[in-house]
Amino acid sequence: MPTSRDDFGIAIRSALLQRGAKQKFSLFVLIIVSVAILSLDNINLKPIKILRSVINDGIYRISAISSSPIKFSSATKDFFVNHIFLYKENKQLKLELQELKKEKLNTSYLQAENKKLQEIVQLDKESAFITVGAKIMLDKNSPYLNSAIINKGSNSSIKLGMPVLSKGHLIGRIVEVNFLSSRILLLNDLNSRIPVVLSPNGEQAILTGAGRKRPVLEYLPENFEFEGKGIAYTSGKDGVLFSGISIGEVIEDQIEKRIEVKLFSDPDQIFLVNVVLEKSTDLEAM
Amino acid sequence: MPINVKTFQESFLRSIPLILLVYICISEFHTQFYYWSIFSFNLQFIIIYYWVLRDPSILGYGFVFLCGIINDVVLSLPMGTSALSYLFVALVAAYVRNATVRSTMFTDWFTFVIAALIGNFITYFLLKNFAEMKVEYSSMFFNSLFTFILYPVFWFTFEVYKRLINLKTYD
Repeated sequence: MPTSRDDFGIAIRSALLQRGAKQKFSLFVLIIVSVAILSLDNINLKPIKILRSVINDGIYRISAISSSPIKFSSATKDFFVNHIFLYKENKQLKLELQELKKEKLNTSYLQAENKKLQEIVQLDKESAFITVGAKIMLDKNSPYLNSAIINKGSNSSIKLGMPVLSKGHLIGRIVEVNFLSSRILLLNDLNSRIPVVLSPNGEQAILTGAGRKRPVLEYLPENFEFEGKGIAYTSGKDGVLFSGISIGEVIEDQIEKRIEVKLFSDPDQIFLVNVVLEKSTDLEAM
Repeated sequence: MPINVKTFQESFLRSIPLILLVYICISEFHTQFYYWSIFSFNLQFIIIYYWVLRDPSILGYGFVFLCGIINDVVLSLPMGTSALSYLFVALVAAYVRNATVRSTMFTDWFTFVIAALIGNFITYFLLKNFAEMKVEYSSMFFNSLFTFILYPVFWFTFEVYKRLINLKTYD
């Protein structure tokens, strides 16, 4: 097929050498130039390196600017895609947050309860009394009624008049016993009367609830002079409460001119208590 | 000297393919449209092939060569690699233009396979032998494949553009 081969040759020659109306260079020339540049670049000549570094500097800057719209469009696409899924993600995160909050609260509650229980256990070990731990179920604190209900009753050998401790300090006594629950009359209740002894001089008095946070000391000796500090303990004179249970710090109310006791255990903050069943026979604990 | 707005507008519209080609070479288009580890296409090949085939007065060989050099610099390829491959694509297009009397989309499309394969083969060959670069043959193959598949899309787009600016097809 000589004609076909000739046609191919003519067409290739024409394509390589023809410059056309507006072409300044023929393909053949440009291919030769490209091969020359490639060869020079491959030889690693110093002038070529310098030329390349100059071209690089210029083109990199232009490239950085000109590629920014593409990068911006890509970033915009990512932005919108993220926003489309944002609602779903937000909903999921809210659910997770709720769960975590619940767990946190639960953990916090358990931690607090654990701490209290540990204190009770510790108290049971160290106390001079045999006690039973109980949890406050209800507390009714008002100016006229200061009592609390615990979740232990006669089923735990609790009896009327037994002293109740919180963190080792007296907070009241049992005034009502049920099979599964009991009522504590707190020291600040109006009906509370407890015989106490004051340290360091050993004065006897009656600690009377006043319906306020701090009970008052009554029936103090006639020549009693408050020395600025003192601690009130149970005296055990009534034959019901055991002696030597710490109650609070003796303070003087300057305005109303009376002696009060600042309780060691805040009646508003009690949560777990110990009901004293009997005095311990363990000498080490004593 | 009064500015002939119509002439300026016409010149600008006729320069759009060239501007697009330069922009693509400068803006690392090749690296930014690379998805799923296989999808990439060579838009430069499509532009060069189409315009050299349909209207070489819009895209001069000198600009094709320059765009190749720019692309080499941007992609840190040995200088002349892209220029050579682009020029060979242009050569195939020029040959088809000279050898055929009446071209259609399908004749353009199937002759483009040869142009794309030659262009990518030259790039692969030069990189393999004249550069310390690792080139995966499969990635070049997929590039050629997707360039070939997408050619009709750009063919129709450029046809619409050509008719829009009332260009006469090259005879």
